[in-house]
Amino acid sequence: MFIVDRLQFHEVLKAITPNVYFQPPPSVAMQYPCIIYHVNTGLTHFAGNLPYRYSEKYDVTVVDRDPDTPIRFEVAKLPTCTLNRWYAVDNLNHYVYNLYI
Amino acid sequence: MTKVIWDQVGQRLYETGIDHGVLYIPNGAGVYDTGYAWNGLTAVTESPSGAESNKQYADNQVYVNILSLEQFGGTIKAFTYPPEFAQCDGTAMPQPGVAVGQQKRKSFGLCYRTRLGNDIDGSDYGYKLHLLYGALASPSEREFDTINDSPAPIEFSWAFETVPVNVGTVDSVAYKPTSLITITSVDVDSTVLSALEDLLYGTVGTDPSLPLPADVLGMFSGTITDVFPTAPSYNNSTHTLTIPSVTGVTYYVGTDPITSGTHAVTQDMVVTARANVGYRLQQPSVDEFFIDYS
Repeated sequence: MFIVDRLQFHEVLKAITPNVYFQPPPSVAMQYPCIIYHVNTGLTHFAGNLPYRYSEKYDVTVVDRDPDTPIRFEVAKLPTCTLNRWYAVDNLNHYVYNLYI
Repeated sequence: MTKVIWDQVGQRLYETGIDHGVLYIPNGAGVYDTGYAWNGLTAVTESPSGAESNKQYADNQVYVNILSLEQFGGTIKAFTYPPEFAQCDGTAMPQPGVAVGQQKRKSFGLCYRTRLGNDIDGSDYGYKLHLLYGALASPSEREFDTINDSPAPIEFSWAFETVPVNVGTVDSVAYKPTSLITITSVDVDSTVLSALEDLLYGTVGTDPSLPLPADVLGMFSGTITDVFPTAPSYNNSTHTLTIPSVTGVTYYVGTDPITSGTHAVTQDMVVTARANVGYRLQQPSVDEFFIDYS
């Protein structure tokens, strides 16, 4: 699977779990389990004195009460995906993955 | 005499960047008459070699220091390459999309531009055009790596050596054969530079081409005259082609020049008009003429 843009990426995540949020504002009441993702940094390769290829690094956070949630294993299978860290807040496990689109 | 002054305003020069890469494939006559845009060019390393010291001793001292012949090579790095470069990299293309490796390597020419900057205009102060002749690429390693958490396109790299091409005598100065000519935009006549760039990059109606070193030097040692290529006429009842006589223009059939006057035609052909040294085809103008035999 090759993900070409964020909208396609969003649909790929929604196929894993229906609750997917892209850079949600604080006012959004989230349903769990869910996936929250946002842009981390951009990666640009240059050629001919101009940007030649641009891709973006995303932080993808799987939030679930279940520490063995299958959602995180599905996210981990996505291209370029690596696990960055884990933490827990309010009895919710947060698995933060990084990947590039 | 004036005292030297360092770091004057506008004189803090530097060079940076690379862009506008163009690949030229020579025809059977050694004329670089077709150019192709080279996208994704990331670096060209110029690596002159040779000119090594060879001291000869006599009377217990250095009698003479003879230098070996200077050679020129380098490295090209890019994310991709024009399909036409495949033949220069030992790849034959019997059918579109079908590549056969380890074939004959064809020589090529290359043009690229580097920026010239200073403390006033930054990197827009000017530029240098680098014209490379007689290059032959060596086989190079390609490492195809898995897509991972540090996505990056493969950067191809080709080492090349060159066979210098003749320059001859220009303005009563005899030059040795060379593989590289560099034109600095801020130091040359802008009209002539524009004419050279029209040749290098092509125009509407004219293909890009790489003029040979003697032609380049000739352009900058003289003046440029605009000429209009008159269309050849064809009589389909007698099957004769009449090539007009236009000062500064040479007509070609394929790679062969064709003289002015009448010529018998036996099949369909394309006649191409090219400007001679010191001339430039007026724009817009048509430089290719299809002769329909029927």
